[in-house]
Amino acid sequence: MKRLLLRAILPGLLALGVIAPARLNAETDAQTNAHRAILDLAGAFTNDGFKLRDGDFTGTLASGKSVVVQVNLYAGNQYWFAVSTADAKTSLSIALYDEGGNLLKTEPFTTQAPPPAKGAGSAAGAPADFDPDATATNRAAAGYAPDLSGPYYVRLTNTSAAPATYCLIYSYK
Amino acid sequence: MPFPFSRPFRNFPPQMVFVNRRIFVLLLALASLRAWGAADSAPVQPPPKLSDETIAQAVKQDDFSVPTPGELLAALNKVAKPNWQAQYRPPIPTAYTSRPQIALNLGGLIADGYIAVEAEDSQQVKNIGKDIMTLAKTLGISESVLRRGKTIEDFAENNEWSTLKEELDATQNEVKLAMDEQHDEELTTLVSLGGWIRGTEAVSGWIANNYTEPAGKLLRQPAIIEQLRAKLAALPAKAHEDSLVKGLEPRLEALQQMVSFAPGTPPTAADVKRINDAAADLIQSITAKK
Repeated sequence: MKRLLLRAILPGLLALGVIAPARLNAETDAQTNAHRAILDLAGAFTNDGFKLRDGDFTGTLASGKSVVVQVNLYAGNQYWFAVSTADAKTSLSIALYDEGGNLLKTEPFTTQAPPPAKGAGSAAGAPADFDPDATATNRAAAGYAPDLSGPYYVRLTNTSAAPATYCLIYSYK
Repeated sequence: MPFPFSRPFRNFPPQMVFVNRRIFVLLLALASLRAWGAADSAPVQPPPKLSDETIAQAVKQDDFSVPTPGELLAALNKVAKPNWQAQYRPPIPTAYTSRPQIALNLGGLIADGYIAVEAEDSQQVKNIGKDIMTLAKTLGISESVLRRGKTIEDFAENNEWSTLKEELDATQNEVKLAMDEQHDEELTTLVSLGGWIRGTEAVSGWIANNYTEPAGKLLRQPAIIEQLRAKLAALPAKAHEDSLVKGLEPRLEALQQMVSFAPGTPPTAADVKRINDAAADLIQSITAKK
């Protein structure tokens, strides 16, 4: 009887959106986690004199799906586009295209969260959320210095089996 | 069904054949795992070309797809040594009543902030910071932006030029966020537009007086103005009733043609002068008191 009630009521609650707020909050948390993860990586670029744009491009991609976002670059500047997923078990690939839609050769950069130092537990300052099963590409970046000012396109693809919440940022100098 | 490859072992003792079968199964399993692992970790090759449809459907997000004025200024620094102080303009009025006009001028002032940072002029940065706060107050969004204003002043005091560029970008987004909260989201496009026009005016002004082909090529910005015009066209009818907003569209259309030159055809010195005149004319309208 209890199972029957659950089967009957749960879909209704879902349809009415009664349970939706919890899911929406979870997505917001995931975006925050992705943002935090990518800011860690962006620190390496800012140390090298790159200015970090305040805006970011966030969302969730189903497995195998892609999203393309337009950016406008100026000749002579150098750019780094960096993306991270919220979950270290998921991964994304990043690619840059010119305004004609042609794939560009970019400087690659892929990394995963660093493992804890030997002999150091999480209490000693190692990342408490370090996951040895993490993919090697849950944070990726592409560097490019255009010869031509104009529109370019950044394509993100979820290369993992699960949906991935991502945060894309860019920096320039 | 006979186990494959067992025939060569038929003369071996039964226990040995069994062991070899187990080794074979183990090796097979390991090979499968290796192949599966390789497939899992193999880099996914992006397509060599995006279709026209994909390009047309690409996301265009205001605070990501439209560059800051600072990016255009940084690009000019790569091909020249501009005297940025020469691109200052006289202080603008800060007592407007039209909200679209305030939004456009806020964007323009933020672009002025980038110019002052490039000139490494702390007093000018502070002056512009104050004007930004005054204008923000007239929109009733001063609280969050005021904190940024104080930070800008502190960074200017300490000559932290690099940090100031990021702070100006953050200030612009803070202004837009506050507008969103006040249900003035349509005005956020005008902040970006005002900043882009003022940045283009300053850079084209310097290039017009110091023309080189590489510098002229920087002014190619077809997609930015296309995106801003599309956003402008999508403003609610009430915003279009504003005489300033109404007058922008034909002049922006003309400016779009000027900054949409073909990649292999850089503008001449005369073309750059025309771009500068068009941008300066727009700025004059935006700053004029009604």
